[in-house]
Amino acid sequence: MNKKLQSIRPLFLLIAVNLLGMFLIMLHEGNADKTMAMLSIGMCVLSIAAYIIISVCRLGDGYLFIIISMLSSVGIIMQSRINPENGIRQMKLYLLGVGFFFVTMLLYRVFHKHLRRLTLLYFGLSMLLFAVTAVFGTVKNGSKNWIVLGGVSVQPSEFIRILFVLSLAAILTNARLPEKMKKSKKEKKKADTDEKNLKRMRLTLAAGIAYINAFCLLLQREWGIALLFFAIYLAFLYIYGESRLFFLANVLMTIAAAFVGVNFMSHIQVRVATWLDPFADITGKGYQITQSLFAIGTGGFAGSGIGSGSPYFIPVVSSDFIFSAICEEMGVLGGTAVIMLYFLLVYRGFKIALSSTNDFNKAVSVGLSVMLGIQTFIIVGGVIKLIPLTGITLPFISYGGSSMITTFIALGILQAISSMKGEVTDEIE
Amino acid sequence: MQTVLSKLLTYIFVIIIYLFIYAIIRMIFLDIRTMYRKKAGGLADAYLKLINLRHELDFAVDESYEISDNEVIGRGKKCDISIADKYLSTKNSRIFKSSGKFYLEDLDSTNGTYLNGEALSDKAVELLDGDKISVGRTNFLFVLPAKSE
Repeated sequence: MNKKLQSIRPLFLLIAVNLLGMFLIMLHEGNADKTMAMLSIGMCVLSIAAYIIISVCRLGDGYLFIIISMLSSVGIIMQSRINPENGIRQMKLYLLGVGFFFVTMLLYRVFHKHLRRLTLLYFGLSMLLFAVTAVFGTVKNGSKNWIVLGGVSVQPSEFIRILFVLSLAAILTNARLPEKMKKSKKEKKKADTDEKNLKRMRLTLAAGIAYINAFCLLLQREWGIALLFFAIYLAFLYIYGESRLFFLANVLMTIAAAFVGVNFMSHIQVRVATWLDPFADITGKGYQITQSLFAIGTGGFAGSGIGSGSPYFIPVVSSDFIFSAICEEMGVLGGTAVIMLYFLLVYRGFKIALSSTNDFNKAVSVGLSVMLGIQTFIIVGGVIKLIPLTGITLPFISYGGSSMITTFIALGILQAISSMKGEVTDEIE
Repeated sequence: MQTVLSKLLTYIFVIIIYLFIYAIIRMIFLDIRTMYRKKAGGLADAYLKLINLRHELDFAVDESYEISDNEVIGRGKKCDISIADKYLSTKNSRIFKSSGKFYLEDLDSTNGTYLNGEALSDKAVELLDGDKISVGRTNFLFVLPAKSE
């Protein structure tokens, strides 16, 4: 019985966080608003229902969803604190995201055998999305990366991330050459060279796709996501490249590209300059980052208390700079807790990759986990001035529909992979 | 006053998040420990080896299960050897150790427990190395490595 209690303790803590968060928001708003209570109760019910479905139907890893629920709860509480309306919208997005999570999981379980052969489709779809954005896109915050569809604005580059991971995984784990009956020496040699050619072809294709994607993103001025794509690509090369030289060459290429960017592109120059010395232009270009730093500094170790800080000074606080708001109101202590939650999530992702028996699934889960980890690093590093700031969302916490749903789709795939653990590797052909 | 209260509650809020992290890490730690125990088959007194080909079964089964003092086989999640076969009862059968010997026992299951093709009655039967145990649609080989003193 003790064991059972232990396994539901996180659920109790999740409920406690939601109720306490609700109370704090009500205290801040100064009125007992019904919607806030509804929100937190809805959040609890939904999380518990999903947890029960996952554990009863044995749908794989039991930790993933509960960690996501915690992160989303913190997200919804912070969003409601900044703007109650955003909180409600975030809750709706969370609901939608959970729907996507389960649908993706089921679809992936059914179709995972075919997914490894659809490289061209992934690539075609990403290119199509890029093209659509370029033609019909609207400009927001200086980059043309939004499409407005019937009143809802969508950021296609978010969805391309998953297609990118899938396409790289499909290429790099592409079915090897059929084992030939290596009888004569000559044939063996031929098979060897064939194998070598195949490896080379795989790497070239992967590199091609990575560079084309990154180039398209740079055209859209999506520095953050371009950086993310490249990090995923390098991680894949490191794992599947089998050639250190090629990996090093790519790293050198990246450094060279970064060097060119820093020296010749004004957009990047500004970012690097504000990173090195944000106080030089505190009222202009350095405003965002300095406000973020002030907020984190004001919060100190234990924070000012939810509702007592002043996160409104930070621009785009609800999406890119949400981490600064968390640090201001919950302190470095709370910020660290959030980062630790991401650590746990990424750790589970790698664990799923390790225990998966199918090499395509393994590659996909590695890619998605790396994606989550790097994304968190890029934005948290950006707002605390560890690395130059690039606009990207903090998964599950930032306000934003496309990012929320993409992350839920990614997690749905991870969950599906973890639930297929018992299955045998069926190498097709 | 309100600030103090919100500050205090925020402390509690953050502490709960840390407790949550601790609870999860603890669960993961326990998971890993049992996994290691499962892997280290050499340490076990005895183990069950799966005879079926796994892809013939539409549910997940491990290749082998370590047998220590008392193992309940069944469909229930709380069983020591929990298999999601719908032909199994929630608690189907039990293998236990008594004075150095292993015994197999049926726990009033609907579809019964078979030892070397024969259905078990109410009495527990001693298990020997190489015995075939069938529960639901799964067949296991009971392996009792000879002790080398």
